[in-house]
Amino acid sequence: MNIEQLLLAVLTYGCLYSVMTVNLNLQYARGGMINFGTVAYFAAGAYAYAIFTQEPPSGLDQYAFGFNSPWWVGFIAAGVAAFLFAIVTGWPTLRLRGEYLALTTFAFAEVLHSIFLNERRIGNGSVGLSNVNRPDFSWIGMSDNYGFAGAAILLLMFTAFLCHRILASPYGRAIDAVRDDETAAEAVGKDIKRLRFEIFVISAVPVGFAGALYAMITTLVSPGLFTAEVTFFVWIALILGGEHTIKGAIFGTLALILFEEVVRSFNFETVRSAEIAASVEHIMTGIIFIMILRWQPFDRFTKKEAVQ
Amino acid sequence: MIDDILVVNKLTKQFGGLKAVGGQGGLSFNVKRGALVGLIGPNGAGKSTTFNLISGVLEPSSGSVALNGKDLSNIKSSEIASHGLGRTFQTPRAFTSLSVLENVMVGAGSTGERLTSVFSGSWRTDEADIKSKAIEVLQQVGLDDRIGDIVANLSGGELRMLEVARQLIRDPEILLLDEPTAGVDPSLQGKLSSILVDLHNEGRTLIVVEHNLHFLLSIADVVIVLQNGELLAEGTPNEIKNDQRVISAYLGDEYAA
Repeated sequence: MNIEQLLLAVLTYGCLYSVMTVNLNLQYARGGMINFGTVAYFAAGAYAYAIFTQEPPSGLDQYAFGFNSPWWVGFIAAGVAAFLFAIVTGWPTLRLRGEYLALTTFAFAEVLHSIFLNERRIGNGSVGLSNVNRPDFSWIGMSDNYGFAGAAILLLMFTAFLCHRILASPYGRAIDAVRDDETAAEAVGKDIKRLRFEIFVISAVPVGFAGALYAMITTLVSPGLFTAEVTFFVWIALILGGEHTIKGAIFGTLALILFEEVVRSFNFETVRSAEIAASVEHIMTGIIFIMILRWQPFDRFTKKEAVQ
Repeated sequence: MIDDILVVNKLTKQFGGLKAVGGQGGLSFNVKRGALVGLIGPNGAGKSTTFNLISGVLEPSSGSVALNGKDLSNIKSSEIASHGLGRTFQTPRAFTSLSVLENVMVGAGSTGERLTSVFSGSWRTDEADIKSKAIEVLQQVGLDDRIGDIVANLSGGELRMLEVARQLIRDPEILLLDEPTAGVDPSLQGKLSSILVDLHNEGRTLIVVEHNLHFLLSIADVVIVLQNGELLAEGTPNEIKNDQRVISAYLGDEYAA
């Protein structure tokens, strides 16, 4: 892998995952809600995109729906699907706090994963949907790799703008107050259920869009891609970047993706050396994780913004 | 206009079968508009529970509370706050991630707490007003030199005044203060009592829970005494000081006139 490809991959996946980290920052660091089911909204978006853009089933296909829509219809459908799933999961969990919410959202994500795996009429079960349609970038004279990197950057910019707009307003002040002390927030007229629900639902939408983009890039959606590992990756990135800031969330994600892609770019002569490298990667990830938590480089870098 | 701003009628609250407030027939009392009412009683008499029932933090087991003639049963505490009832807490509750100024500004219900307003940016027009109002109430409670500070730097007494300021920006008709002098040093208590008298003179109704009776009896119009969740006595400070039941249950002999 050459440097150009490496940087493109880091940018594309870094921005894509950053969309999730930035939204988790809104939900958790500011809204105080522990969501361990982030992958579910990502998966809902990816599946919605694939179902809307694929051709109707024929031959051996087990899936029941395919609408053959243009990519932008699928993209909007992805946002809507994540939005709806957030309403369905957010409404019953409104009263839950802390680890109870964490467990419930985790369970919801596992349920969705299980449905995708076992209900073959949605997406061919464990096989998944392959050859997902992707938009063509040739009309603006761009190769696919550059096109998707650009799309991921745009989506991240949109998400960061959205979050910043919310957090810099009295709305951000109100959700900070609700997170700090619910009873006191109610005593100054804050409807904590409404605020928490709105944050929960609105932050799911960009994650759905990211799911659609992911489906376009990989041209494959299958249950194996949307496991709890995605959620934990996003959580680790958020913690690495230091909580409370949009910049921190993005830096943490980019750093983590960079590390993974660099490790992946090595060529190995033998299977044995690849195995050793894989084990060393885990060890190195752990060591880097501890070092970052100890010195908090990104946190320090973004602290100015946080204090304001 | 209804003369009694607050009507508490046969209120009871049970915690796991144990009656915290209400006793036999339930707790009943009325508060006249513009009065400064002292609510006193021994520890565990149900004073804070009564506050929590009035402000909707707790739901009564039976009985009702009416504010300006409006029944508050089944109304969320955030809505009760919006109907003009403000309160502070026995243990000061500040929003620790916000600055002193922001703690007060968050008290004002900005239009910017609606998503539509957030995205249109229309909240910006009100923001300057809210800020100047916040500075004004911080001056009123004597915290104007701490405006840019973080909450962690405030003393216990200052936190109490911050809570009062956060309520004042909402311009409440009736304010429930839970032990405003607890943890406040004696030199500041004079200042505190003049702040309360000022609020009273502005026409606000105040209900004050307090153990510092020198402080309370000097400013209150009416005193309500609770014991074991029941109304023991109600009257002017002088009547209360001379009430034999109150002396033996709570005041002790030193207050006997």
